[in-house]
Amino acid sequence: MILDATILFQIAGIGIIVAMIHTILKQMGKEEIAHFATLVGFIIVLAIVINGLSDLFQKIKSLFLFQG
Amino acid sequence: MKWFGAILIIIATTLIGFEWSHRLSGRPKHIRQLKHALQILEGEMLYSQLPLQEAFNVISKRMPYPVNYLFETLVKQMNESDAHFPEVWRKSVRLFLSRSHLGNNEAEILYQFGRSIGQHDLTQQQKHIYLTMTHLDRELEEARDQHIKFSQMAKSLGFLLGVFIVLILI
Repeated sequence: MILDATILFQIAGIGIIVAMIHTILKQMGKEEIAHFATLVGFIIVLAIVINGLSDLFQKIKSLFLFQG
Repeated sequence: MKWFGAILIIIATTLIGFEWSHRLSGRPKHIRQLKHALQILEGEMLYSQLPLQEAFNVISKRMPYPVNYLFETLVKQMNESDAHFPEVWRKSVRLFLSRSHLGNNEAEILYQFGRSIGQHDLTQQQKHIYLTMTHLDRELEEARDQHIKFSQMAKSLGFLLGVFIVLILI
């Protein structure tokens, strides 16, 4: 099975962009908003990862428990 | 097709960022023009002793766009309606504010100035003009600070937000 690398690049890109937004906001003295932006980025990445994980568990279930 | 949409989103958010930054840079500029207009008004009042309407006419001919609009509407409304002057002033200032980049503080200062205008003798009037100038000076300082601090941030934040949205959607 060929690993689909798009999701990795997507998460990496989101990480880089969020880091840049955080740096800019922090430089301008808006620390609360900077932290908030980082939190939002983290939650989005978490949602993507959980999506992938639920896929994985679904596959395991269908493999070992003989369920659809 | 996908890349076309992505580029459109990035262009849109970048333009929003530039518009924000333009708004920040417009505010000190307009406050400065307003101060200049008040100086002309003071000159016309003290030395030429023109009536208000003619003084406003002179100012509207001499100032650049957003500020001359205020005085033009003032002259027009003073000709057309026979409401009290503070009423006319408030209406014109409201029209003017929607066309300029001024904030709420400047609006309040202008309203306050409108209540004093034409009510006193020359020295009192001059004092009121000086008071308004001092208030505007303070706002100018603050607006300039904000411009220096946030205009660069607004530009880069717009672009980064566009890239961020594209990355999520892709």
